[in-house]
Amino acid sequence: MTTRYDAEAAAALVNDAISGAACVDGGDLYLDSTCLVDAVRVLRDGGDSDLVFLCNLTAVDYERHFEVVYHLQSLDLNHILTVKARLHDHEDPALPSLTGLFHGAHLQEREVYDLFGIRFEGHPNLQRMFLWDGFPGYPLRKDFLQMPGDVRAGLPGFPHEREENAWPVPGSVPQRPYHPNDPAPPSDVAAVEGEEAS
Amino acid sequence: MTTSDDTRLAMQGTIEALTSGGGSEPVVVNLGPQHPSTHGVFRLKVTLDGEIVQDAEMRIGYLHRSMEKLAEERTYTQNIPFTDRIDYLAAMSNNLAYCLAAEELLGIEVPARAQAIRVMFAELQRVASHAMANGTFINDCGAWHTPLFHMFRDRERVLDMFEMTCGARLTTNYMRIGGVAFDLPDELLPTLERFLDDMPENIANYEALLLENEILHARARGVGVISPEMAINSSLSGPVLRATGVPWDLRKASPYCGYEQYEFDVPVGERGDCFDRFLVRMAEVKQSLHILRQVVDALPEGPYLADVPLHARPEPGEAYARVESPRGELGFYLVSDGGPAPYRFHCRPPSLINLSALKEMSLGGTLADAIVTLGSIDIVVGEIDR
Repeated sequence: MTTRYDAEAAAALVNDAISGAACVDGGDLYLDSTCLVDAVRVLRDGGDSDLVFLCNLTAVDYERHFEVVYHLQSLDLNHILTVKARLHDHEDPALPSLTGLFHGAHLQEREVYDLFGIRFEGHPNLQRMFLWDGFPGYPLRKDFLQMPGDVRAGLPGFPHEREENAWPVPGSVPQRPYHPNDPAPPSDVAAVEGEEAS
Repeated sequence: MTTSDDTRLAMQGTIEALTSGGGSEPVVVNLGPQHPSTHGVFRLKVTLDGEIVQDAEMRIGYLHRSMEKLAEERTYTQNIPFTDRIDYLAAMSNNLAYCLAAEELLGIEVPARAQAIRVMFAELQRVASHAMANGTFINDCGAWHTPLFHMFRDRERVLDMFEMTCGARLTTNYMRIGGVAFDLPDELLPTLERFLDDMPENIANYEALLLENEILHARARGVGVISPEMAINSSLSGPVLRATGVPWDLRKASPYCGYEQYEFDVPVGERGDCFDRFLVRMAEVKQSLHILRQVVDALPEGPYLADVPLHARPEPGEAYARVESPRGELGFYLVSDGGPAPYRFHCRPPSLINLSALKEMSLGGTLADAIVTLGSIDIVVGEIDR
């Protein structure tokens, strides 16, 4: 059965090699983005950690910051570790690329760049993957097009907790779906209330 | 200058290039987006020197539906049908992985009968998906459609069983958070028994037909080779990884739905080439049938769905749950902010990540080999693009 690799142990391992590069918050390991590559190399090549397999790489937009999430797995010792890095620059977030360590990071980093606009410095081919060059914006960011139905309640620190955001709310939806053959149009937007155009 | 002049000049240029004997010039060939070998809307831009692949670059996104964004606007239960459409050849596995992630967030115990039914349908789905994968792979190798339709007969019977259980054949929407949507119909178990009785003979027929086939060996042996180290470094998973000899199967390594109760082997290959991937899939079908037999023999009674509120609101937190889908490690990463819809919904698609090493597998081979390699990876474009 896959166990969780202890985040405290991982942080100690990283901090031994690069002091101050790792900290633990809420049971997850956070790495300093400036020395991310070296820190992950320590985790990959360390005998006790042996995290040689990059399972999953994705990002989350928490609006105040981005979090890039890595799931690293050891195949021999059968444990998994969640590693995160925070990015506070919302205009031009950037992180060192892990493609030098994991060949499997190529496509996953491109996907995150395409949908979140997070640049991975040192990636050999950082282009948009699903969307075309010149597509306006990054769809998985929370502020993209401000889609209707912002149902967000409960957690302190998350935005969209205002009463007036009860669903359904008047909002805007794109009138025309994007199509790969379209020459990158900014889509026309109609105001709607429920299903009725207003 | 008229068009015919243009054409004539271009032809002259071509003839001069061909007859001057000054070496060859790289040619760029687009495979797809509409091409029988791409199994969907997938484009591979290949740079060729003669017939030898010098560079292979994939262009994807033709099927991008932005499911991860859509899912942020729908409740946890409403998102289950999306997962069918991510990998439409293994909808049950996708349903299952998503439900496992949601259950981890919600802290729900799944009843024993529901677990067994989930295993049953996940394994039936593997039989159907591998039938498709192997059939189309043989198709890519040049055996035009005859083996494919032999295997489609088996897949058809699995889809019939899906239909009698949940009313749908491909986009099943059968799993629910906390169990499955419906209990098994009365006629399912006898149908499944007949299927399990017939399959060994069918598989023996396929093996007699294909395994010693000289043309298949010539097309697939030693083609698209990848080393175990490179496969692990490229995050490959599923039969593509196991064909290199790495016995990594999440059903063994990280059992879910009670897989630890069932006895089965993890078939591995030796050389990591296209033929080994085909062999691993053939062997996995046999293991799936073995698991199915055990599930049928020890199917527990009891409820098939736990008591779960329709609009569940999990506590703030995150979950990453994964299953061994027919194509590899299929994971769902969900983040909850305490609301009725996921704050973030991410699918870890094995089809996309298994393509990480496609270029390395194809370089130096011929264009025809690149097509066989692509077929042996078994991609589903709906899952690549999402």
